[in-house]
Amino acid sequence: MNEDLDRFLPLSPATLHILLSLAGEDLHGYGIMQEVARQSEGKYKLGPGTLYDNLQKLIQRDWVKELGNRPSDDDPRRRYYRLTSVGRGVLSAETARLAAVVREARSRLQIAKPRRA
Amino acid sequence: MLRHLYRCALRLHPPGFRKRFGAEMLSIFDQSKEKRASLRLLLDVAMSLSRQWLLRSEFWGETPAAPAPQPALDGVPSFCTIDSFHPSPAAFVPGLVLSLAIFSLTGIAIKHSWIHVLRIRIPEAQLETPQWIPETTAAPQVGLSGSGQESPALASSESTAALVSPPTAETPKESQSASNPQNPQRRAQSLSNSAKQSATAIAESKTQPETTAVSSTVSGSPAAVSAHNWKLDAAEQQLVIDGAIQNLQKYYVDPSAAQRIAAVLLAHKEHSDYSAITDRQVFANLLTRQIDAAGRDKYIVVVNTTSAVPDRPALPFSQEVARYRKQMAESNCTFEKVQILPHNIGYLKFNSFPDVSVCGEVAAAAMKKLNGTDAIIFDLRDNLGGNARMVAFLATYLFDQPTHLNDFYNRGDNNRFESWTLAPVPGNRLTDKPAFVLTSASTFSAAEAFAYDLKMLKRVTLVGETTSGRGHMGAPHSIDDHFMIRIPGILVTNPISKTNWEGKGVEPDVKVNAVDALATAEKLALSSLQKK
Repeated sequence: MNEDLDRFLPLSPATLHILLSLAGEDLHGYGIMQEVARQSEGKYKLGPGTLYDNLQKLIQRDWVKELGNRPSDDDPRRRYYRLTSVGRGVLSAETARLAAVVREARSRLQIAKPRRA
Repeated sequence: MLRHLYRCALRLHPPGFRKRFGAEMLSIFDQSKEKRASLRLLLDVAMSLSRQWLLRSEFWGETPAAPAPQPALDGVPSFCTIDSFHPSPAAFVPGLVLSLAIFSLTGIAIKHSWIHVLRIRIPEAQLETPQWIPETTAAPQVGLSGSGQESPALASSESTAALVSPPTAETPKESQSASNPQNPQRRAQSLSNSAKQSATAIAESKTQPETTAVSSTVSGSPAAVSAHNWKLDAAEQQLVIDGAIQNLQKYYVDPSAAQRIAAVLLAHKEHSDYSAITDRQVFANLLTRQIDAAGRDKYIVVVNTTSAVPDRPALPFSQEVARYRKQMAESNCTFEKVQILPHNIGYLKFNSFPDVSVCGEVAAAAMKKLNGTDAIIFDLRDNLGGNARMVAFLATYLFDQPTHLNDFYNRGDNNRFESWTLAPVPGNRLTDKPAFVLTSASTFSAAEAFAYDLKMLKRVTLVGETTSGRGHMGAPHSIDDHFMIRIPGILVTNPISKTNWEGKGVEPDVKVNAVDALATAEKLALSSLQKK
């Protein structure tokens, strides 16, 4: 399973942020955009065009599932999306990969620093 | 405004994407309050548009995943639509305007297109023959005139009709007025007219066998009369007057005369001069007279087609061609006499200028027979005209190089073309021989062109009477189901005189009565031979 997922890695920033934003709770499109902005502290802004383009892809790959609208929501045009178990697996794999990258980077930077000093 | 643009851009997305996410994207747009944010979204949707079309072809046809269905309320019918999009009623207005605009543009494009697939030039280029000849279908003449270039091709339909009648000394002027039993078509027309005027079934049934007896080709007339026997009313009078004026303004060779005629007709209408007329033939005749009085052109004719047109059922094109060929074969292409007179003077009498593609060989054979003569006489006294290419074809024998005969200007389509003699005929020995052309008051149209052009080139001596004076070529234009108007629409200009013989006729060099013309020409030919 992990080998299968590995061929999708590394994830594009948009995909990573969308998966990450859905990791906590089900969100509608606008909610995803806001969540992405919050997570990246406003540094990464996702436009709806990019968002839905990625969602289309993610739904097709079965990483994200569409829930339809919620009658309780104020705007009936909104649809909610949920991370599937596959999506969660991909996100975990990507996180692990990134962790390895970060770890590697840190170790290199720590080695480098004394030399410079 | 921005929202409208945004919606338009959304609609342009591939259907799969649009149906799935369009509404949501619009809802996101609706959440943005600031103008700057809206502009950014607009940019975003534009990029999305190109991305979806260029890079996401695998999703184009995707159908939306069925969203969780809304629970149907009890007693409320639920509908399922394939596409949630419905045009708003307001969208019909721009839709209508757009359709009309496209329709008009297409029409204009067709009208001004340089590819005139549908244009049939031939009827425009008919040298006029007497007007009593009922209009025949012009279309078949297209083929008969051959794949000729711009050459004014000819009045074959008219000459065809002319050929039906035996060659008589009848003049076009005489023939406008009344009856000539020798012409079956014309007789048929007058018969059917009388049938119409009597307006009773009995009169018609009497007419029918008689008409049929005259010519089997006219048997359609009485039926057509009975089918169109409704009275002329004021509305149709108005329509016919307007149609006549419009056609004159568009096609008539003299625009200022067309204006004058229009003013006169409208004045008559204004004075209610037509209010008592309920008979179409009477109305057509009256209009023709008034147009002649105002425009001084007796060749503009309003024709009541109710009685005149259905001379015979329209034949398929190939049959028309076959019919024409048969007529020409039976009449030797109207080449009546090809003789060598005493003192080796050639004499050629022919009564029309038939189509070159059909009669070129007959004409060439006639000229070959006369090739050894010392002088040549063309007898056009009974010639009712026809095909301008035949004019050039025969004139070719009198010149040792291609010679400019005439210029034509078609006012309707603002088109100019020229008529020239052809390349010299190998072995021809007539180019320097004295030539004479015999004319009468009934020499008409293309025959006048032949006489006039050669006179201007000082190549022939004209002997006889002043010709009838038909200088413009004309064509019929339909006004409605019952009327059409024949309008001289092609101006013929001789390159030497810069004018033509319209209305004046062609003046002979030696003026004698038509009956004496041959003897006079023979004497002249002999004396010119003796001088040599």
